[in-house]
Amino acid sequence: MLRGIRVLDFCWVGAGALVTKLLAEHGAEVIKIESHARPDNLRLSPPYAPGVDGLDRSGYFASRNNDKRSFALNMSLPRGRELARELASRCDLVTNNFRPGVMERWGLGYEDVARLNPSVIYLAMSMQGADGPNRHYVGFGSTIAALAGLVQLSGQPNREPVGTGTHYPDHIPSPGHALVAVLAAIRRREQTGRGALIEVSQLEATVNMVASAISAAALGEEPRRQGNRSDLACPSGVFRCRGEDEWCALAARSQEQWLALAAVLDDRPPLDGDRPLAGGLLLADARFVTLEGRRAHEDELELAIAALVADRDCNELASSLQAVGVPAWPVLSSVDLLEDEQLRERDFWRSLTHPVLGRIAAPSAPFRAGKDRTGPTQAAPTLGEHTRDLAHELLALSDQEIDALAAEQVLW
Amino acid sequence: MTELAPLSFANGDGPLADLSVLELVGEFGTYAGQLLSDLGAEVRRVAHPRSAADTEAALGELSGIDVLIRSGGADTPELPGFDPATIRSAHPRLIQAVLTPFGSDGPKAGCPSTDLIRLAAGGLLWLGGYPDGEPVAPYGGQSSLCTAIFAAIGVLLAVLERDHTGHGTTIDISAQEVLIQALETSLPEYELTGKVRRRAGSAPQEAGTGLYRCGDGYISMVAGRLGTARAWRRLREWLVEEDVPGAEELFEERWETLEFRQQPEAISRFAAVFGAFAETRGKLELYLEAQRRSIALAPVNTPSEVLVDPQLAARDFFREVPDEITGRPRTVPSPPYRFWAERDQVVAH
Repeated sequence: MLRGIRVLDFCWVGAGALVTKLLAEHGAEVIKIESHARPDNLRLSPPYAPGVDGLDRSGYFASRNNDKRSFALNMSLPRGRELARELASRCDLVTNNFRPGVMERWGLGYEDVARLNPSVIYLAMSMQGADGPNRHYVGFGSTIAALAGLVQLSGQPNREPVGTGTHYPDHIPSPGHALVAVLAAIRRREQTGRGALIEVSQLEATVNMVASAISAAALGEEPRRQGNRSDLACPSGVFRCRGEDEWCALAARSQEQWLALAAVLDDRPPLDGDRPLAGGLLLADARFVTLEGRRAHEDELELAIAALVADRDCNELASSLQAVGVPAWPVLSSVDLLEDEQLRERDFWRSLTHPVLGRIAAPSAPFRAGKDRTGPTQAAPTLGEHTRDLAHELLALSDQEIDALAAEQVLW
Repeated sequence: MTELAPLSFANGDGPLADLSVLELVGEFGTYAGQLLSDLGAEVRRVAHPRSAADTEAALGELSGIDVLIRSGGADTPELPGFDPATIRSAHPRLIQAVLTPFGSDGPKAGCPSTDLIRLAAGGLLWLGGYPDGEPVAPYGGQSSLCTAIFAAIGVLLAVLERDHTGHGTTIDISAQEVLIQALETSLPEYELTGKVRRRAGSAPQEAGTGLYRCGDGYISMVAGRLGTARAWRRLREWLVEEDVPGAEELFEERWETLEFRQQPEAISRFAAVFGAFAETRGKLELYLEAQRRSIALAPVNTPSEVLVDPQLAARDFFREVPDEITGRPRTVPSPPYRFWAERDQVVAH
């Protein structure tokens, strides 16, 4: 879909790398710039292939850089920067997620590039935007989530905030919004021939994920942590099952679902109508008959459910609940997901062969066009893997020139 | 030097200004439509059809529509005659985006869900929560918002395709698959080391990185890993300058390595030293001073505090719009992206 679009990619580490990953999977030619002098930090980040040293052993890097081409270019040398500008003049997109000022110091700010390449689309995704008093502030996904209000709101009401347990903004909010903007800019360019600068603030991307809480706070209704509970369902929770760290998430958002849920937990056939029968622990309990009652006694309800499921097999319980139309799912870990029947049936996982890591599973893009799946086809490049090819193709350098530039640590 | 001016997509001037979008409001909310509307598309919202008459009316609305956004799956039952295939045969140029919990096919496609259930199925729930308790979901219906973002991405790719081929397509977006994009290192970690990453809670996983209590709440910090070795040095210098008891000890050689800083002994010792200092300071004060020293530290803000964040205020990020239901002003964030172009091009356009 994006065949013919060439991207000069300075997106390192987390958020930006996922933007250019999806572009690459959809046919764009993404040229990732880094060097042995200054590799993408993610190459130095675990998990690593066991027993291997060097810059090509990071599974984290591999998971975000498939289908890209790696061009080793030393940006600390004037000749390196010159070659980067030459590359920028031959690309449709230039992308980075550095702090404001880094690209400008290299002579690769939007205005520099637009002078060489007026129709360029230029994506700059900094932490907090290109202007404002905190534009130079540093951060990570976890600190951005804290700043945006998401950490404070996530967790149990009677404990400290817990957040998402990840650098969540880096994985969907920031790259997702940036992709929306980039694809729109590509369409605008196709229609008008004009380029643009797209400025994404990762903080602003994350605040958009808690917009309802912000609107409520502006009206004086400060939202609070509510754990796994929900205004739309009661019960709504995660309950421990038999085995080590086995949990089942379940919920009921209608009376019908509640009766079906209670019948499964009481291990009784579903009832005809709303009237509870004596005998079942949940169904017989007068406190839980109506939604109001369940909400008023939610602590007790959760304790009762916890007691009823503690000895049950998590997968069997979830299946029984699903079979009677109750929202329920085992809380799946990474290993569960790799074996998940639904994902397998939908052909979600790809297998890539990486020269250092070996065979690795890679997720497809999370949507299909009709029955067509688009996803990873090539494992992440080793550092500089495509330098020579690209120097020939895009810079028209001869083998001798390339060797000389390599010896000078420019192409390095 | 050329002068840059913001590109405004109001007044029929955006990159999607020629597109008419019909959004059937369902399980996955209205964020996908909002994203397209912010880029200039004309978005109309109607309730999901619930009867044969509704279906008839909705089908009637489809002529002249470029994009139909709808929720699907067990929680939004499909009425006869309103399935994507039937609609597609009548409207081959129409792009349909169907947002479902688990995808439009596969053995679990018909299972009901809530946000919590989707988070469980997508693996994000497994990573959240306290190590000594149950997995805990992130706040605020994240599964719907994330699915909506990828729906907008899928629609835009389909629009680019249609611009070339003239054919519409049906985009099938699975919330479960969307959330798998957010699992960080856990998949490669399992594949490379056999270790199944679990929820770690908010307590620091290494000295200098994690959540710390301060005088008026909590701060979140990352100092020491992923290219922040200098920040770890600056953090120690800061504590020494503040005469924090025990700070000198952090300059002992063993503290130089990440391996040591990940030991429980180091984590708790650092937490004691830093914690005693942080308890005497407010989160805003710590934020400003840490950032002056280029240390990635941020306050754990409440929504009210986000509303008065000086950076967001300086960028005019929050705006008031009339609430769709009550008509009263409602404070909402602006889109997180801004488009700029050279001034002459903006004027010419």
